[in-house]
Amino acid sequence: MAYLNPGEPQKRLKLFVGIVTVIALLFVGRLFYTQVIDAERLNTISSDQRSVPRTLPAIRGTIYDAEGKVLAKTVMRYDINVAPSKVAEFTRTLNDQDVQVTVDQAAGEMASALSMTKAAVLKKITGTGEYAQVKKRVDAAAYRQIKDLKIPWVYTDAIADRLYPNGAVAGNIVGFVNAEGIGVAGIEQMYDKCLAGVSGQETFETGADGIKIPESTVTITEAVPGRDVHLTINADLQYYAQQVMASTVSYLRGDWGSATIIDIKTGRILAAAEAPTVDPNAPEKSKSEDRGARIFQQAFEPGSTLKTITAAIAIEEGKATPETKVTVPYSWPLPGVNYNITDSHVHPTEQLTTTGILRDSSNTGIAQIGGLVDYKIRRAYLDKFGLGSKTSIGFPGEHSGLLNTLENWDGIKRWVSTFGQGVSVTPIQSAMMYQALGNGGVLLEPTLTDGCADENGKYATAPVKAGKQVVSAATAESTLLMLEKVVEHGGIGHYGAVPGYRIGAKTGTAQITDPATGRYGSLHAVSYIGLGPIEDAQFVVAVTVYKSRTISNSFGVAGPFKKIMQQTLRTYRVPPSTTKSPNIAEEW
Amino acid sequence: MSTARLSQRSVQPQQRVNLRALPAMGAARANRSAMVFLAICVAAIAVLNLCIHIMTSNAVYELADLQAQKRELTTNAQILSEQVDSLSSQQNLADSAQKLGMIANANPVFLRISDQTVLGQPKAALDTSGRVASNLIPNAALTERTGDISSMVASSGASATAAVVAETVVSYGGQIAASPTR
Repeated sequence: MAYLNPGEPQKRLKLFVGIVTVIALLFVGRLFYTQVIDAERLNTISSDQRSVPRTLPAIRGTIYDAEGKVLAKTVMRYDINVAPSKVAEFTRTLNDQDVQVTVDQAAGEMASALSMTKAAVLKKITGTGEYAQVKKRVDAAAYRQIKDLKIPWVYTDAIADRLYPNGAVAGNIVGFVNAEGIGVAGIEQMYDKCLAGVSGQETFETGADGIKIPESTVTITEAVPGRDVHLTINADLQYYAQQVMASTVSYLRGDWGSATIIDIKTGRILAAAEAPTVDPNAPEKSKSEDRGARIFQQAFEPGSTLKTITAAIAIEEGKATPETKVTVPYSWPLPGVNYNITDSHVHPTEQLTTTGILRDSSNTGIAQIGGLVDYKIRRAYLDKFGLGSKTSIGFPGEHSGLLNTLENWDGIKRWVSTFGQGVSVTPIQSAMMYQALGNGGVLLEPTLTDGCADENGKYATAPVKAGKQVVSAATAESTLLMLEKVVEHGGIGHYGAVPGYRIGAKTGTAQITDPATGRYGSLHAVSYIGLGPIEDAQFVVAVTVYKSRTISNSFGVAGPFKKIMQQTLRTYRVPPSTTKSPNIAEEW
Repeated sequence: MSTARLSQRSVQPQQRVNLRALPAMGAARANRSAMVFLAICVAAIAVLNLCIHIMTSNAVYELADLQAQKRELTTNAQILSEQVDSLSSQQNLADSAQKLGMIANANPVFLRISDQTVLGQPKAALDTSGRVASNLIPNAALTERTGDISSMVASSGASATAAVVAETVVSYGGQIAASPTR
C-alpha cells in the first residue's frame, strides 16, 4: 500500500476530489435512476401511500314548477356514527373551564339532538366495535347540535340527499330517488340523465396530522353538476286540487281520485292531482299502488264522458246536429245483436235532441246517434282523439288505454262504445279529448315539462307543437254549446256550474269489471270533465274518483269539479263571462 | 561515548529542506472570503426556506380554519334555507291561513280598466264552501311551522272565527240526487 508523503498536499487533494467525484457520480447516477428511470413507479407507490382519493359528487339538478317554486332539490344530510370501543368519559371546555362529561350525560344530550330516547342512544353506542350508526341522514340543524356537543367519539358522514320541500304536492309527478340517488319514479326517473350530472374524482396528499398538503390536489375528472327541469305544473293550483281530491276521496270512500287541469291553448298540464298519493320525502310510507301517477298509468272505461265524442263524430260526419231529434226509450234493442241496452234510470219514452241526450246522458239515445256513423269511421275518430295510444310525454309506466282493433269490435262493442264501454282511457287521455274540443277541434300533445335546462340553468318554454285536427272548428264549437246545456240544465251537471262563468261539461258514471267474476261490479268510476269559459275555452278540468262507495254517481265529483275550476279561473285571472249561451232545443 | 556521538553529529552534513513557494497571502484571503460569502448565502437560503416553510405551514392551518368556517357557514345557510322551505311550503301556509281565519272568496270580481266595467258579482267572502281547509297533504319535510298564530289571531280579534276553522273543502247536503247517467 502506497502512502502519500505528507509533503504532497496536491496529490492528497486530487485523491480526495476524485473520491468525492466518484461518490457524487454514484449519487447522481442513483438520482438519475430514481428521478428519471424509476420515477413513475416510485411516484405511484408514494402517491398510493400519501394520497387520499375523493369522489366529487355531482349535485343533482333541481325540479321547479311553472312558477319557479322548488319541488325537488339536493341538500346535505349527515349520518351520525360512533366508535363504541372509544366511548368513555371526556372533558369538555365550557367558558374556559374543563367539565367532565359522563357517557350517560353525553347519550342524553345526543338523544335530545337526534329526537331519540337516551336508552336507544345508549344501546347504539355500547359495544367494542369501531363503528356503530346512531342515526341516518339527519338534517343540518341536528348535525349542528351534535357537532356543538364536541363528543370526541362521535363522527359524522355527509351525504347528498334529496329534499322535496312541498312534500306530496305533485309527488306523483315529481317521483323520487332510491338510496343511491337514482331516480326510480316520475320526473326523477324520466329525466334522471339530465338531473344526475356526472361525478368527478380528485386526489390530494395529507400530512401526518391528516391536513391536506397545499397544491397537492390533483383533479382527475371534474364533476359535472346535474341540470334543472322545469315542470308545467303550477304547484299552488296542484296543492289546491290535491286538497279537494283528498277530501273528496275520503268522503266518497273511493279507491283513488284524480284531477287533471289542462291549458287548452297549449296542452300544458297545469295540475295532475291525485289522492292518495306519495310524499317523495318518505315514499315507504305510501302503499305501492299510491307511489305512481295514475293520471298516466291507470286506464279504466270512461263511461258517459265518451258520449261527448260520439256526438261530435256524428256532427262532424254530417249525420247529426245539436238539434237532431231522437226518440229515446228506457230500453232499446241493439240492431243486429240480441242485446238490449237501458238507461240508468227508468223513464218513459222521451223525445230528445242530441243536446238533450247529452244533458240526460241517455245510453239509448247516444247509441242511436252513434249508430248513424259507420262503426269503422267512428273507431277511426276515437283513434284520432288519442284513445289506445300513449301520449308523447313518455311518462314512466304510462298506459296506452285500450281501443280494440276493428276485428275485435264485435257487434256489442260497436254499440256500447258509443257510451264509453269496451274501451279504456287514462285520465290524461280523457282530459285531452276535451282539450281538442276546446281548441277548435285541434288535439295537441300534452306537455308536462319544458325539458332539461342548459348548464347555466337557462331553459326555453316548450313550444306548442302543431296539433292534429280531429274535428272541424264548427263541430267543436257545436259540441261545446251542447256541453254548456249539460251544466245549465243537467240533473247532475248543474252541480258543477261556476257562478259568473259559462262552463260546459259532461258527467260519467262508468261501470268497473270485477276481475273475480269477469262482469261489471257494483262500484263505479265517477267523472266530471268540463271546460271554461265556453266563449273562449281556456281550461279543461277532469275529475275522477274510482270506486266511489258513498255516492255511486258523478254527483260525487261535480262539487269538486266546480271548486277546482273556480280556483283555476281565479288563479289565471280569467274575468267572468259577459255573453250568454245560445238557445238550443233539448227536447221536441 | 556521549562525547564521541556529539562529535559525530557535528560532522554529518546538514540535510537539505525541500522548500517551495507558498501562494501569496492575498489570494488565500480572497478564497476564504468567497467561502464565507458562499456559506452566508447557503445559510440565508436555509433561513429563507425555513421562513417560507413556516409561512406555508401557517397558511395551511389558516386555510384549514377558513375551510372550517366555510363549512359552518354552509351549514348555517342550509339550516336557514330548509327553514324557509318549510315555512313557505303550501302545507304550512294553508295551516297558517286557516288559523288566521282566512277565506278564499269563491266569487272573484274584476275591474276592467279600459271601460271601467265591473265583471262579476261582488260578494263577501263568507261562503264556507270556499274556506281554506286544514292541510290534508303529507309533507315529511315540514319541520318548521309558523308559530304564535294564535296570539296574532287573538290580537286581531279573529278568534271568533275559530268555530268555522274545522270546515273541510268539500261539503255535501244530506240529499243525494239519483243519477241520470250511466
